[in-house]
Amino acid sequence: MKVHLKKVGLPVLAFIAVISVWESIVRLGWISAFILPEPSKVWSSLIEDWPELWVALKTTTFSVGISFFLSVSIGICSAILLFTSEMVLLALYPYTIFFQTVPIIAIAPLLVIWFGYGVPAVVASAFIVSVFPVIASTLTGLLSADPALRDLFKLYRASRTQSMVKLYLPSSIPYIMNGLRISGGLAVIGAIVGEFLGGVGIGSVIDVARAQQRIDKVFASVLLASALGLLLIKSIDGVSYWLLRHWHPSEAKES
Amino acid sequence: MKKTVAMILWCLSALLMAETKTQTLRLALNWKPEPEFGGFYDAALRGIYQKEGIQLEILPGGVGTPVIQMVEAGKVEMGISNADEVILGHSQGAKVVSIFAVYQTSPMALLTHADRGFKELKDVFETPGTVAAERGLPYIRFCEKKYGLSKVKVVPFLGGVTQFLSDKKLSQQGFLTAEPILARKQGANPKTFLIADSGYNPYLTVVIVKKDFAEKNAELIKKFVKATQQGWENYLKDPSLANQKMSVLNPTMDPETFKEGAEAQIPLIQTAATKKQGIGLQTKQRWKQLSEQLLDLKVVKQIFPPETYFQ
Repeated sequence: MKVHLKKVGLPVLAFIAVISVWESIVRLGWISAFILPEPSKVWSSLIEDWPELWVALKTTTFSVGISFFLSVSIGICSAILLFTSEMVLLALYPYTIFFQTVPIIAIAPLLVIWFGYGVPAVVASAFIVSVFPVIASTLTGLLSADPALRDLFKLYRASRTQSMVKLYLPSSIPYIMNGLRISGGLAVIGAIVGEFLGGVGIGSVIDVARAQQRIDKVFASVLLASALGLLLIKSIDGVSYWLLRHWHPSEAKES
Repeated sequence: MKKTVAMILWCLSALLMAETKTQTLRLALNWKPEPEFGGFYDAALRGIYQKEGIQLEILPGGVGTPVIQMVEAGKVEMGISNADEVILGHSQGAKVVSIFAVYQTSPMALLTHADRGFKELKDVFETPGTVAAERGLPYIRFCEKKYGLSKVKVVPFLGGVTQFLSDKKLSQQGFLTAEPILARKQGANPKTFLIADSGYNPYLTVVIVKKDFAEKNAELIKKFVKATQQGWENYLKDPSLANQKMSVLNPTMDPETFKEGAEAQIPLIQTAATKKQGIGLQTKQRWKQLSEQLLDLKVVKQIFPPETYFQ
């Protein structure tokens, strides 16, 4: 009970402390509200602009969902493909790094012209930044299956499919899950960047609010985007726990 | 030998400069060096500011440079903004005043493909097609209220003229002094309509300072305005000196476009009124009208007397 109280109480206390300090420095006029809006102002924007923010949030969630799904499925499949043939790996792996290093903000206007305004451009932007961690982590996972078990599978003449399904994939799950956590956060960022130019969702609200000097609304939108990222990462944690709870030390609890 | 003499002379002049107490002012631009800032560069290059005891440091900007915030936070003494941004800023608690307005007529325009045969701004909005605009900007709200946006699809403006070139049914926003020239260079045939003709005509490219800075340095501001007026007079007559410098600072715009842009903007800067009262002129009546328009559009919730916004 005491541990539980500490775990919940301390973060809440820290939150209250930060918010009250922030609120007071703006109220006391040390920093102009025009540069850093006080938390109460952000909160009232959240309430006042809720209808608009809610519609935008739904669109962003939709785009993030699709692109994350694409990243996961295409990412894992590509990693398996790269893994099955050394030739393919050597030939293509360097190019997958392209996805990680592409400066998304620079090519976002082109994505809009290639894929069209709105959701398509946003999904493309989010996909490009979120697929690489999935590929890289899946590949690392596949390559780090226990050598002893690999020999065992060989000894028993397991087929390639059998080894893949029963050995390589299961042992790479912890790695994949780690990749997904990174990918989930990046998908939200990539979507927001795409929305700046795609003209929909939270990113568009931020863009318009910035032009209108509504910094409070920018903060409210950022808060929602972070909440979306947090929710996604927490769901991945949940899935990870559910998949790994019985056998992997990273999720096996002492309970 | 020559070098040593030059060094000594330089040191001496530096000492002398320190004696005459020059004050450094930083001017943050909201975009890369382009003809819309020509007068400032001219006055700086010809030493007109220096004569008034001002060392002007011009800081180029880019997409989304938060100029008002920079001025409000005291990161720079001066910045380039627009009249509607100033009024929006005040409604959010910013305390800045405009001391000089470059454009009497806003160069904000819509580029249309000439073969669509539009006669006036109204036609752009009343013919099915696409309009690329920055939707955060009040002018598009004004057009929405005046012409309605039910016929056209409004999409985000991506900068440059790529959208315009790739879609024959698309009209886009742009500065009269840049995008139409650029589009023509790339083979398009644009016909341009000024937004100002709709009745929404904010002063564009205004110099802003913090209100308390303006109050404490009234004399300095007078000198700055005088030097800036001189710079603009020069630039309108002969933009070559400033253009040369600016095209080095901003190589994305070619010298030809600099020249054409500088020419295209003359009637927007120089009017019968500025010939009498000087370039940079601002009137109470114009600020009042703009603030009332913004209030009417519900872009701001409160407005102040016009003297709050400029001096």
